[in-house]
Amino acid sequence: MLGELLNPYQLQIASFVLINIILAISVYVTLSSGQLSLGSAGFMGIGAYTSALVTIHFEFPIIVGVLVGAVVAGILGILIGIPALRLSGVYLAIATLGLGEVIRVIFVNWESLTNGAVGISNIPQIGREIVFTTRDLGFNATSLGLQNNQFASLSVFLILFVLNIFIIWFIVRQKNSRVGRAFSAIQLDEKAAESMGINVTYYKVLSFAQGAVLAGLAGALFAHVMGYISPSDFAYHRAVEILIFTVFGGSEVIVGSVFGAAFLTLMPEVLRFISEYRYIIYGVLLVILMAVRPQGIIDANILKRLKRSKGGDVHGS
Amino acid sequence: MVLKINHISKNFGGISALTDVSFSINEGEIYGLIGPNGAGKTTMFNLITNIFSPSSGEIIFKEDNITGIKPHKITEKGICRTYQNIRLFSQMSALENVMVGGHCRSESGVMRSVFRTRYQRSEEKTLKENAEELLEIVGLIKYKDVLAENLAYGQQRRLEIARALASDPSLLLLDEPAAGMNENETDSLFDLIKQVQARGITVLIIEHDMPLVMKLCDRITVLNFGEKLAEGTPLEIQNNEAVIEAYLGKEEEDDIA
Amino acid sequence: MLLEQLVNGITLGSIYAIVALGFTLVFGVLGIINMAHGEIFMVGAYVGVMTTGVLGWPLWLGFIAAILVTAFLGYLLESLTLRPLRGKKGVSHLAPLISTIGVSIFLENMTHHLFGAGNKPFRTPFAQLSIEIGSVTIYVVQIIIFVISILLMMGLSIWLSKTKAGKALRATAENLETASILGVDTKRTIIMTVVIASAMGGIAGVLVGMAFNSVSPQMGLAIGLKGLAIIILGGMGNVKGAMVGGLILGLAETFLVAYGDSGYRDAIAFIMIIIILLLKPQGIFGSKAAQEGR
Repeated sequence: MLGELLNPYQLQIASFVLINIILAISVYVTLSSGQLSLGSAGFMGIGAYTSALVTIHFEFPIIVGVLVGAVVAGILGILIGIPALRLSGVYLAIATLGLGEVIRVIFVNWESLTNGAVGISNIPQIGREIVFTTRDLGFNATSLGLQNNQFASLSVFLILFVLNIFIIWFIVRQKNSRVGRAFSAIQLDEKAAESMGINVTYYKVLSFAQGAVLAGLAGALFAHVMGYISPSDFAYHRAVEILIFTVFGGSEVIVGSVFGAAFLTLMPEVLRFISEYRYIIYGVLLVILMAVRPQGIIDANILKRLKRSKGGDVHGS
Repeated sequence: MVLKINHISKNFGGISALTDVSFSINEGEIYGLIGPNGAGKTTMFNLITNIFSPSSGEIIFKEDNITGIKPHKITEKGICRTYQNIRLFSQMSALENVMVGGHCRSESGVMRSVFRTRYQRSEEKTLKENAEELLEIVGLIKYKDVLAENLAYGQQRRLEIARALASDPSLLLLDEPAAGMNENETDSLFDLIKQVQARGITVLIIEHDMPLVMKLCDRITVLNFGEKLAEGTPLEIQNNEAVIEAYLGKEEEDDIA
Repeated sequence: MLLEQLVNGITLGSIYAIVALGFTLVFGVLGIINMAHGEIFMVGAYVGVMTTGVLGWPLWLGFIAAILVTAFLGYLLESLTLRPLRGKKGVSHLAPLISTIGVSIFLENMTHHLFGAGNKPFRTPFAQLSIEIGSVTIYVVQIIIFVISILLMMGLSIWLSKTKAGKALRATAENLETASILGVDTKRTIIMTVVIASAMGGIAGVLVGMAFNSVSPQMGLAIGLKGLAIIILGGMGNVKGAMVGGLILGLAETFLVAYGDSGYRDAIAFIMIIIILLLKPQGIFGSKAAQEGR
């Protein structure tokens, strides 16, 4: 019964949606202190390669590899974030774009470590590891009426789902606090924020590094879901795609990132005929969006209205 | 002595905005800084809050030399300001603006905020109560959930004062708080500043509204072309020949015209 | 060998310089980074290939076709994506950046869709013609590229400094409001700027097709990113900086390929950007004021 409902392919798409949501949130967090970073693909790549390499060469468990990947991306984020403080707006965007490209070129050229443009293929996969581990523990997926690949995809999806919930919870809590107010204050008026006693350097590096950690985390997860990675997975196009998730969905609120990543990942899947024109449509979408609704599809006003109408229903019933 | 300005000069690319200006402010005073446009008044504020560093001279705040320390540290030490051209956080509510003002008097970081520890919750509660109290004082409590950008001009000025007060300053710098206000609003501003003084806060004010300055200030320094022209009580300033000639005289001309 | 590399470097550098000039003109006047400039360049290269290679037109006609098509694209870019954002309340300064990224994605994938992903060979009738000076071989194509680039740069400099329209452009770049008060038709000037910048991109596209004998949908991205690097190196909105920056990058890349590790060729530009941004964010020729408030 359950086995008929679960299609491993659809579960994999759902897993990509969840990874893309983490990526979109990484841009959102950085933007929430007013910094536009186009380096998310680079940090994602750092997370992916780090985790892939330590799990392959040092046989670290995947969970440790993923954490190491996220931490290394975060450290790089701090190292880049500090000098990048001197830049704002368009300059920061270009510098981070350049950083992403430098990282990609290093992946291509450091062949002894990264296997060059071909990429790394035999990366341990989360799903398979789980199937093996549970089998060793004497658990058999068929007892749930599932095939092994269904069980693998399902567990990957559930892990990512829980992780997503945790990240969203974390970021929302942070937003509605002293730290979140400091981010917003810096975004709205950096000079005024500083003269209100906010340590602008600290908070800007903090939000930049948080974005890097999230992108690195998503990259590491991507590596262990896919099983293979190559430098072209982390090129300029990926950076732009991630940016579009956030900007399209709405960069003012975290719901926007979630919506943007989910919608834009699912759209080409649901509307097959669109798939071929996907990027052409992305391009047109961005132009129209900036002219008509530069804040993205979902903004604070819409959320407020939604809440109010829900409240209205409660009163009505 | 709360603030001592010691032989301060400031050049911008060879053009001198302030030349060898000194004055000092006593605790609990309302001190006026006046002078024609371009006299260097706002520059003086920017030097005190270290948005720029002075070319020479030093600024002493309660025995501490604060010349060149970071702006947010200066706020922490107890100096906070408002801006001539209002710089509120436009997309935040009035309440949130004032709560941001309390940033340096609170300390919950990421972990405490995310896990909402008991400490964080009580700190957040205090911040909110303080902010509401300050909004009450400036008469904006009914607007606490309104976005700053949607407030009327005079209300924005008052909100800026509340935000500055939230940082619990011992010295408050007000940059033309009465600009663009009508007579009623100016009157209630007068009461507000007096109330601030009553809380034991020293005030340094830049203002063009002369009746307000003369009524409000204990002492005044007059700047003209970046130099100190005179210093004294309102009465002394009003009778100072040089001031009348350079500043008040000019204003009379304007009035005639 | 050294001389040959020098010639190669200057050829490459002068193409880079023209691309960078397109970026810098638009940035100077509008304060916007046109992320679609590289793709307009790519379209120019394709028009060159299609007209001369497939239709068999003479080269000069190919140039004119490329100029017309890219100029028109520039016009569309300005009126459809940049103008709607101008002066609108609540539009962040990042909106035009994102909007032009949209155009770049559209153009790249449209070209991909129409002509396929691969490299298209670009045959010029004199591709193999060369001159021997002592031991140095110089291809005629290189000379043509160099001469056209120099003419273009000189033409632009004279036009900017001597003609009324050029002066209007500089006034608008200095301060849009003041220029408008002084009676400059700023709307027209802005359209003209984007159109001219795009046409220069188109010319550079044909030149690159000639120099490398091939075009692909991705070529716009690669050169666009380099153009960005150059204007940061030379100072945003600075015409002289774009020219010198282009030459520096062209030479640096050529010599790295000849005497170093060719794999890192494409990283030079970005390593350069990062270093410049950290040491002297206003660029080699830029003034400090240029970076304030951007």
